[in-house]
Amino acid sequence: MLLDAREVNVRYGRNHAVKTASVSLDHGEIVTVLGANGAGKSSLLKALLGTVRAEGRISFDGTDISGWAAPRRVKAGLVMVPEGRQIFVSLTVHENLLMGAWCRNDDLETETEAVYERFPNLAERRHMPASVLSGGEQQMLAISRALLARPKLMMLDEPSLGLSPILVRQLFDLIRDLNREGLAIMLVEQNTRMALATAERGYVLELGAIVLKGRAKDLSSDSRLEEAYLGGKSDRASL
Amino acid sequence: MLLLQQLINGLMLGGLYVMVAVAFTLIIGMLNFLNFTIPALFMFAAMMMWATMTGNLPFGNDFLFAIFGEHNIWIAGAIVSIVSICLVSLIIERFTYRYMKAKYGDATEHALPLVSSLGFLIIFEHLVIGQWGSDPLQIESPFGDATFTIGTLIFSYPQVISLALSLAIVFLLSHVIRHTKLGRALRSIAERPDTATLMGVDVLRIVPVVYVITGLLCAISGILFTINYTSIDAYIGDTVATVAIAGMVLGGLGNVWGAVVGGLFVGILEVFSIYIVGADFVKVPIWGLLLLILVFKPTGLFGHTAIGKGKF
Repeated sequence: MLLDAREVNVRYGRNHAVKTASVSLDHGEIVTVLGANGAGKSSLLKALLGTVRAEGRISFDGTDISGWAAPRRVKAGLVMVPEGRQIFVSLTVHENLLMGAWCRNDDLETETEAVYERFPNLAERRHMPASVLSGGEQQMLAISRALLARPKLMMLDEPSLGLSPILVRQLFDLIRDLNREGLAIMLVEQNTRMALATAERGYVLELGAIVLKGRAKDLSSDSRLEEAYLGGKSDRASL
Repeated sequence: MLLLQQLINGLMLGGLYVMVAVAFTLIIGMLNFLNFTIPALFMFAAMMMWATMTGNLPFGNDFLFAIFGEHNIWIAGAIVSIVSICLVSLIIERFTYRYMKAKYGDATEHALPLVSSLGFLIIFEHLVIGQWGSDPLQIESPFGDATFTIGTLIFSYPQVISLALSLAIVFLLSHVIRHTKLGRALRSIAERPDTATLMGVDVLRIVPVVYVITGLLCAISGILFTINYTSIDAYIGDTVATVAIAGMVLGGLGNVWGAVVGGLFVGILEVFSIYIVGADFVKVPIWGLLLLILVFKPTGLFGHTAIGKGKF
């Protein structure tokens, strides 16, 4: 097991955002966490990364990291690509990449060059402020920035949000590529179909609790998924 | 020639405002609040300088005079001043940022730090008044009236050195912000502190560094002010910092080089205002200018399109 989180609870005052959720993820695996808005997906990720106070036992790569602060977890290889990309627009593209490598002190040149080779659009604009990038390019930069941290596990929070269908497809191709290169990925998504087509296993959160889990193939044919996810059948025919 | 001399005097005075204005602008740019402890730090630095040089420290006077001697006691004053300001800055960071962040999440979204910093200002002023009174206090200038002349223009050595030091410090600071790893972290925290945390930046360890840097700017400015003008009082922080705020706004909030230009400009404006309208009215043109800027060009001369947070 690369990540093993047992009985995680997150509370914001009276709001019990994550209720005794247990998730795990193996080396090289893609696991998706599904659920509607406010189901507690982001809170769960934040608990894993240590940016919110959480109860529960989290072990990562064989070490108990429950008591660790976020920077130490990042250094250990647990890295998040946040929802909404959150590029630093006042920094240049290149500086954004360097920020991703904050925890490292070794040479970055080969890795930044690899990023630029993968994304020529970023290479062209490496010395421009990141604000000039389009939404899709910003998502590429956000993922590249996370790669510079040399992650063992990359957690992506709603990466397809706000991207056009073509870009969403490219994004999922990239996620699969990265996984093929050996990176374990935890994918939080509202785009259920794409997520289940990409992931090996999935968890479904509803009101902070895990209500369904299993192999992605089984989940996609499970009628309970639609119910849990949407709280009953509705106008989301695209599922 | 008189006008030119006034211009020079204004520049020298402006050099001291520059450091205070940069201190303000750093905290505005990074943490998005007007830090009213900056006047307190300036005043406290000046007071420690005075107290050390005149043997008015609550303890340690004989010891310092024994080590540094009558002639070099100003060095002891500068050291005492800088060390105490660093410590005070760390205490201030706890009460205006850290505890707020722990309790409310993003402290910078609240007006609270501004209010608690105002609390510090008042407490510090009254601690100093309680200890040393509110009357003006004098030191003997350690450099006498060391001056040189170019043509008929008179330059004072301490003032020229102050101005050069001030600009050198700002230049260094600007270089750190622009071109170093720490600077990148500062800019990223200024823009998105929570995302910086995701990169592994330990925000709670870097923010105190910013407080110490602003404290040092205030301390150096306060020390140089005391040496140059030799007379201070418990309200000197208010007097100087309010002008520096005007300079910062003129330059553009959160813009370091804007604060430099703004600080120098208000220094010159002050000297000319004293010359033209007299010392009693000197604040009127300075704050009048500030009000006009806020209405017509709130981003100042060099500010960005948005005001405040994340704009180095």
